[in-house]
Amino acid sequence: MISDSDSIRASQTQGLPTDTVHAQAQWAIQTEHLTKIYAQRLIAVNDMALEVPKGSVFGLLGPNGAGKTTTLRLLLGLQRPTGGWARVFGIPCGPNAVGVRRMIGYLPTNPKLPGHLRPIEYLDLLGKLCHLPHAVRKPRISSLLRTVGLLGATNQLIRTFSTGMCTRLGIAASLVGDPPLLIWDEPTAGLDPSARRFTLDLISELGKTKTVIIATHILNDIDQICDHLGIMQEGRMIYTGSIKDLKQRLGLDEFCLELDGSLAAIERVTQETMALGLQTRCQDARTLYVRLTDDQTRASVLARVLALIESQGVRLDAIHSSQNTTENAYLQLLQEDQSHGFDR
Amino acid sequence: MDSTAEVTASGHVFMPYTAILQHDLRTLWRSRLVRLWLAVACLLSILVTLGNWTQLQDAPLIAMLLFPFLIFPWFLVVIVLGVTPVSATHTDTLADGILCRPVTRYGYVLATWGARVFTVLGVYLLTVLPLCAVIVLVKRPVPADHVTFYGLVTTLGSVALVLTLVVSLGFLAGTLLQKPLLAAVVLVFVWYPVNVVLSAFSLEEFSPISLNQAATTQLRAQWGLDPNDRTAASAAEAQTLARQAEKFVSLLSGTPTQPQKPEFFEPGKFEDFSLARVMLSYGLATLAAFGLSVFCFCRRDL
Repeated sequence: MISDSDSIRASQTQGLPTDTVHAQAQWAIQTEHLTKIYAQRLIAVNDMALEVPKGSVFGLLGPNGAGKTTTLRLLLGLQRPTGGWARVFGIPCGPNAVGVRRMIGYLPTNPKLPGHLRPIEYLDLLGKLCHLPHAVRKPRISSLLRTVGLLGATNQLIRTFSTGMCTRLGIAASLVGDPPLLIWDEPTAGLDPSARRFTLDLISELGKTKTVIIATHILNDIDQICDHLGIMQEGRMIYTGSIKDLKQRLGLDEFCLELDGSLAAIERVTQETMALGLQTRCQDARTLYVRLTDDQTRASVLARVLALIESQGVRLDAIHSSQNTTENAYLQLLQEDQSHGFDR
Repeated sequence: MDSTAEVTASGHVFMPYTAILQHDLRTLWRSRLVRLWLAVACLLSILVTLGNWTQLQDAPLIAMLLFPFLIFPWFLVVIVLGVTPVSATHTDTLADGILCRPVTRYGYVLATWGARVFTVLGVYLLTVLPLCAVIVLVKRPVPADHVTFYGLVTTLGSVALVLTLVVSLGFLAGTLLQKPLLAAVVLVFVWYPVNVVLSAFSLEEFSPISLNQAATTQLRAQWGLDPNDRTAASAAEAQTLARQAEKFVSLLSGTPTQPQKPEFFEPGKFEDFSLARVMLSYGLATLAAFGLSVFCFCRRDL
C-alpha cells in the first residue's frame, strides 16, 4: 500500500523537473509487494520488494522465465501490476507515467526496430519523442552513432542490419534522451566477442555517471561490471545486495591455481598449504582451490601459496581469482531457495 | 510569458505526438497499399466518370463516384488501415520503439489514429474532388442539373465522416480482438448487414447504403431556409427523432408497435433526409468507437 504521505510526495514530485526529482530521490528504483499475474493463471512477478541504489550498476540475475523482463516492463509502465507498486526516482510507474519514462533509457532483448527507416531517421524520431530540440538532437545523434560504431551504416535501412548492429542501434536509442537510469535487458545476447567486450566496457563507462540495470542470465557479465545484484527465481527476489556481500555471506571467496609438474610435488604443495591453516582442495590433480576466511587477506594468502609452489619446483600456469564465485553463490542461492519449500 | 515562448512551450509539449503523426503519415504514404489504393481508386473513378459522361446528370454521377468509398471495395482498405497499428502483431515493435519513451498511450493512439484518418481522407479527396469539379464545371451533353456548392460540401463531408467512423471501428476491433485478420473479417460481417439491422430499428437513414442513395438529393440541397420553413423543419425533425427513439426502445424492450408505412426511403424520395441527424449519429459513433479503443489500449499489457 502507498501511504498518504508517499502519495503526496509522489504527486509533488510529478510537477518537478526531471533533474530535481532525480537529485532528490534516494533510490533509483523502489518496489513493494510488486506482483504480476497473467490471466489469473501465471505468476510472473511474485510479491517483489526491490531497492536499487542511485548510481549503482545493478545486475538482475535469474534463470529464463524468472520474471526479469516482466519486472522491467512493469517499471516502464508497459504492463500494469496486479498488485503492489513501483517507483522510479520516487515517481510512481504506470502506462501514462511520462515522467518516469523520461528518466529511463530502455534496451529490450533483441530490439524490434522499424526496418523501413535508416538509423538517423530512427534516432531523430526517438529524439523528438524525448522532447529534444533540433539543436541538441542532431549533434547527439551523430555522436551516439560514432560511439556505437554505426557511422558507416547510416545509409543502410535498419532491416539490413545484423543482430549485433541492431543491438548497438538499440543502445544508441536508449541513450538519445541522456536519461539518468539505463535499463538494459540482456544487452550482450547474440553479440560476437568483440561486440560483447565493447558493450561491457560501455556499461562500465556509463556506470560512472548513471544508474544502470542489466538483466541477464550470463554470470560472467554480472561479475565484470556490476556492483549490486538481485537474484530472481520463479518471480521472487531471493537476494538483493552488493556482490561483495553475497560472496562474503556464502563464504565462497576463493582463488584457483592451475599447476604443472609432478603429481607428488603438487600433492606436497596441497599438504603444506593445508598445514598453513588454509582451506584447500585439489581437483583433477593439477588444480588447487584455496578459500579465504574472514581474517585473511587475499595478498598475504596468495604470497604464502606462491612461495610454497616456488619451493616445490612446480610451475604455475594460471591464477583465477574468484572467477566462478558468483556462479557458485548464485547456484547455491537457487538450491537454498528450492529446498526451503513452503517457507519460501 | 510572451507569445513566442508560449508557442515554443506548446510545441515542445506536443513534439512527441506530432513526431508520431508525421512518422506514421510518411510510412503510410510510402506503403505499397496506400499507393496502389490511390492509383486504382483514381483510375476507377476516371473510368466511371468517362463511362457515364453522356448518360448521367451531375448529382447521380457524383453519387456513383462515392459508392466505392461508402460500400465496396474501398471500405475494406480503410478497415485494414485502421486495424493494423494497434493489433497484437505490432505490440513488440510498439513497446520497444515508442511506448517505452516519454509518450502517453492515449497520445499515441490519437496521433496514429489522426495519421490514418488523414491518409484515408487524403486518398478520398484526391480521388473524388478533382472529378467533382470537372463534372460540375464542364458542360456535358446531358440535361442541366442543380448541384449546389453547399450540397457538394455537405455530401463529401458526410462521406468523410463515414470513412472516419470506419477507421475508428478498425481501431476498436484491432484493440479488442488483437488479431488484424480476425478484426477485419468481423468488421466486414458487421458492416455489410448494418443496413438490415438499422432498418429493423427504423434507423436505415443512418446506413451507408441509404446515405449513398440520398446523396443525389443532398447534392441539390440549398443552404438555409426561410424562418417559417425552418420552424416546420425543426418540428418535423423532432418528431422523426422521437418516433425513431420510440421504435428503437420498443424493439429493445420487445413491446409490439403499430406497423408504419415507411416515409423516408421510398424509392427516389429523399426529401426529409436530415444532414444534422446523420452527422450527429456518425459523429457520436466515431467518438464512442475512438474513446472505447483508447480505453482498451490504455488497459492493455504490452
